[in-house]
Amino acid sequence: MANVLVFAETRGTALRKTALEAVTAARAFVDAIGGGEVHALVAGPSGVGATASQLGEHGADVVLVAENAGLEKFDRESITSTIAARATAVSYRAIFLGFSAQGRDVGPRVAAKLDLPIVTDVTEVQAAGDAIVVKHPAYANKVIVTLQVSGPSAVIAIRPSAVTATPSAKTAKVETIALAAEPSASRVVVKDVVEGGKGKIDLGEAPVIVSGGRGLKAPENFKLVEDLAAAFGNAAVGATRAVTDDGWRPHSDQIGQTGRQVSPQLYVAVGISGAIQHLAGMRSSKTIVAINKDKEAPIFKVADYGIVGDVMEVVPALTAAVKEAKAHH
Amino acid sequence: MAASNAFFAFVLTLSAGFFALNVQRLVRYMSLGQPEDRTDHPFERLKNVLTIGIAQTKIFRDPVAGTMHAFIFWGFMVLTAGTVEILIQGVFSGFSYALLLPKPLYQLYGLSQDGFAGLVIVAIGFAFYRRLVLHPKRLEGDKLEHTDALIILSMIGGLMVTLLLTNACQFVLDPSSIGPEKIISRQIGGVIGVLDPSPLFLVKVFWWMHALLILTFLNYLPYSKHLHVATSLINVYLSNTSGPGQKGVMRAMDLEADVEQFGASDVENLTWKNLLDGYSCTECGRCTAACPANLTGKLLSPRKIVINTRQRLMEKAPLVTGDRMEFLHPALVHGEGDDAGATTATEVLEHRLLDTYITEEELWACTSCRACVQECPVSIDQLDIINQMRRYLVLSESRFPEEIQPAFESLERNGSPWAFSPGDRAKWAEGMDIPTMAEAMERADRPDILFWVGCMGSFDDRAKKITVAFARILKAAGINFAILGQEEHCHGDPARRMGNEYLYQMLAKDTIGTLDRYEVKTIVTSCPHCFHQMGNEFPQLGGNYEVIHHSTFIERLLQDDRLPLNTDEGKRLTLAYHDSCYLGRYNDVYEAPRETLRRALPVVEIVEPKRTKDRGLCCGAGGGRMWMEEREGKRINAERTEELLSTGAETIAVACPFCMTMISDGVKAADSSVPVLDIAEVVERQLVG
Amino acid sequence: MKIAVCIKRTPDSESRFKIASSQTAIDETGLKFDIDDFASYAVEVALQLNEKQGPGETVVYAVGPDLVQETLRKAMSMGADRAVQLKTDAVPYDGIAVAKALAAELKGGGYDLVLFGKHAFDTSGGIVGTATAELLGIPCVTAATKLEIANGRGTARRDLEGAAETVEFPLPAAVTIDEGIARPRYPSLKGIMAAKKKPLETKPAQLGAARVTVKSMDLPPERPAGRIIGEGAAAVPELIRLLQTEAKVL
Repeated sequence: MANVLVFAETRGTALRKTALEAVTAARAFVDAIGGGEVHALVAGPSGVGATASQLGEHGADVVLVAENAGLEKFDRESITSTIAARATAVSYRAIFLGFSAQGRDVGPRVAAKLDLPIVTDVTEVQAAGDAIVVKHPAYANKVIVTLQVSGPSAVIAIRPSAVTATPSAKTAKVETIALAAEPSASRVVVKDVVEGGKGKIDLGEAPVIVSGGRGLKAPENFKLVEDLAAAFGNAAVGATRAVTDDGWRPHSDQIGQTGRQVSPQLYVAVGISGAIQHLAGMRSSKTIVAINKDKEAPIFKVADYGIVGDVMEVVPALTAAVKEAKAHH
Repeated sequence: MAASNAFFAFVLTLSAGFFALNVQRLVRYMSLGQPEDRTDHPFERLKNVLTIGIAQTKIFRDPVAGTMHAFIFWGFMVLTAGTVEILIQGVFSGFSYALLLPKPLYQLYGLSQDGFAGLVIVAIGFAFYRRLVLHPKRLEGDKLEHTDALIILSMIGGLMVTLLLTNACQFVLDPSSIGPEKIISRQIGGVIGVLDPSPLFLVKVFWWMHALLILTFLNYLPYSKHLHVATSLINVYLSNTSGPGQKGVMRAMDLEADVEQFGASDVENLTWKNLLDGYSCTECGRCTAACPANLTGKLLSPRKIVINTRQRLMEKAPLVTGDRMEFLHPALVHGEGDDAGATTATEVLEHRLLDTYITEEELWACTSCRACVQECPVSIDQLDIINQMRRYLVLSESRFPEEIQPAFESLERNGSPWAFSPGDRAKWAEGMDIPTMAEAMERADRPDILFWVGCMGSFDDRAKKITVAFARILKAAGINFAILGQEEHCHGDPARRMGNEYLYQMLAKDTIGTLDRYEVKTIVTSCPHCFHQMGNEFPQLGGNYEVIHHSTFIERLLQDDRLPLNTDEGKRLTLAYHDSCYLGRYNDVYEAPRETLRRALPVVEIVEPKRTKDRGLCCGAGGGRMWMEEREGKRINAERTEELLSTGAETIAVACPFCMTMISDGVKAADSSVPVLDIAEVVERQLVG
Repeated sequence: MKIAVCIKRTPDSESRFKIASSQTAIDETGLKFDIDDFASYAVEVALQLNEKQGPGETVVYAVGPDLVQETLRKAMSMGADRAVQLKTDAVPYDGIAVAKALAAELKGGGYDLVLFGKHAFDTSGGIVGTATAELLGIPCVTAATKLEIANGRGTARRDLEGAAETVEFPLPAAVTIDEGIARPRYPSLKGIMAAKKKPLETKPAQLGAARVTVKSMDLPPERPAGRIIGEGAAAVPELIRLLQTEAKVL
């Protein structure tokens, strides 16, 4: 029997997806080591306590709520201190959190403060006797490393989206706790947060990229690519050197040896032959789809899925299909 | 000695002295350059002087202007004899060659003087017409350049006219003194005799005009582009651009040397030969007219590079040498654009050849195709200056187009200019039963030949097909060969061409180590860049191998009947072959690929594009440009492809994987479906079985 | 400014990796090593800051065996002034253990700024930078995509998922550097020659106990060979199905 602490990240008063994933992982771990409690710590501006029910639904036995007006913006220092203070006061087998952008800031600090070992970007957690065994990808996802964490406690930072948030309803007991430090005393001050929602998603960050090449025949036809990108919702639009050189697209859209090098989850190459210089820019994409009317085109050698056909025909059909698929999720 | 003789002797001494001082000054400026030894192979060098210089072989590449210039040049040489006679006569009135030569020879001499004077006048007339009326594009210079040219043409014209008029007057005064061989002079004499039956005064006037024109002309030379008159034959002798030795080999560089900087940023970093090149440039513009970068709208002009070198030398050298003749700052020795307008000594010293005169943009636009060097009638090596300055940019300032940094880094880490995994290098050979050197040596089965695949041939999808085709040819011919497989990595040529000598030497030395470890003697490769690098430049670093390009190799196989080919009559096929610069201008391999094509396709008709063989237009990928963006003007490959397509050829053949990429891209951009094939692929398709 | 940059020697990211026979490490045969990518951005940031802000010192640190000296020399050939090797036979996977060694060395160094790469290519931990900052008791900003220093204070931009956060902090501070912030300069030959003469100190690394150890390393399941799934618009439904079920990207 041992308890586990979870830092549940919020933005403002809303829980982030990664927080629920962390709770799910913590729940599974606790159950695997023979039962215990999952304590979810949530810190935010007033009203953040309302997240307790959601946390309970996903397996939290206790929800520790630290409300403070100074937490309108994320304050890493006071949150770190609060987690550390709690973990000092109460003994935990492990501290879970999501390895998000903010998690990267908090996790290692907590570990250093408490002199605990920490593992990050974790995709699987298992108890193995006295040790905790985790898996995480290294070498740019080319190698899966299995790590053994020894010691009475550890910090486990879960890779976002590696665990699916699963309901495991508990009636969570809500406890109010105080922040261990005043946000106003923090040295790192958040000046502003600018939502990137509108406007172009950066090629380097987009999980999906739809790229067009000379096979589109004319600059007007790039609309097909844009429509497909819009259908995905979170996609950026890229281009090959041939079409940026011809002025169809701005140079900043060029993907290739002399342009951007990208590795999205999904890369859709529309009317792109796959010349060596372009491949150099996108080969490490997780999944590559190619649409080209030339079945000998080199792009098909690197694509996971290829469709041989006229892009004018295939792309609109694909756009419609993607829209539908997204609507049903 | 009459007073006039004494006076002339005085004038002659003064002129000669002034000229000598200028020569000394120019030589002193030139010696600011780095040392270099050009005393080797005197006979070969002399041969170049006779062919390129005296016989004007490169000048005749432009048949019309070439003839015009040849007349003027030969005339100049022949008339020099007469000039000497006249100058001596100025001091010793009674002197004449008639005193030294037997009569028939003297008459021949007289005929030559008259005859060439006439030819030169005709040529000068045409030259004026050309410059003033025709305005050929390559003669576009600034106002100063035009003025200089017109002054020269006028002086030469004046010299010829005054010569003939002097003789003519002389004939009137004493008909026996001008022999019948002096046809033109006598004719003119006839006319003058009518106007002035005793032109005692006129003859003196014309004589003095002629003599003073000679001396003025002589002393105008150091201030004019006509300096080439004095330096061109010397320059041709001392040049390496047409041999002796292998053409197109970049300078060796000792990177261990304890020097202030690597490469050239200013004139004193270049060698004295580069500076002599500067003196010898006549601003004819043939180089720039042949430059693929220039004719597609880039800033680069090989002529400008050379003229800027001279301009900068003229700007800096007087200061550095403490030249007291600096007050005669030769504002006439100009060229493309103004000098940099420095007004104080500090400004002059702050300026340098790089940036003030020659910009980065120009230097990186070069494809190293060697067309400029090929065309230059006085054997200037424009490419050498460009290469030395690229080395400076990369090695000393790390300044280069940012898009080539990944290529450098990839070469260093991956052994290839592209980000491909070295483990994938021999994937093309899967299932083909081709041993690696390591495997062959383990079996104690020493291969006769190493097939060097190259990075394009190993990783580029299109080029891999060429590799497979050639491998099949080797197998069909029963050749005992091996590949290096994963032990092969780039020999560094792209790095060298882009100025990164340090990275190049690292890669090249390592490659030589591997080749020597396997005691490789003979290498065949399908890439002209690999061919040139390993065959011609490796010796600098101690690597000596016989390297054969696949076009030559296949031709030999065909000659020796070692390839069973289908010779059935096909439809007559018109095919255009695009000459690779590194095969052609660098290594004079023009016929082997064509012969190979003819033997492989008996019913082929090879159509030549307008710019072919040693005038062939570059595909645009050389000089490291394969890894650079082309941002200005028209794309070079588009220009070349248009030309190839306009021949009406049904197929285009190439012998280089870079040309393959560039021409294929060009064909696609032109919305054409004309197939582009490597000659290995053409041959492989005809293999029996 | 006095800036410390902590770098790591990692294999080239384009390589194909194989697992060594020990099953707990990758097979290093034939691999080329260099400064870790993110760490090289950090070096570039440090050099640019000192170039902009007047005279300063950039010192690079690396933990590892003597092989890392080559990596430190590379950083010096870019322009770093001196280097310190914290010597150990093998770099532990445990980020806290490494952070302790760095903190012990950096303490009392008088650094205005301590820079790290966001994470290292080989361990992909993202731990060392932030943890070292905590041990030194200085503020830390992780994964900065923009960094400016003025009057003893720093401003940094960080990417959050779908948003960008701007933070301000006092010096001394630690920052871990994300990509896109600067392009690492290519060392000139001059720089390479100069680096050979710059000071490189070697000290033993005071590592913490390694509580995180590698149990095994495996290659991810093979990516199935790409295939053409069909022709024309008719192939679209199959593509959607595969993207949803097999690739799981939709």
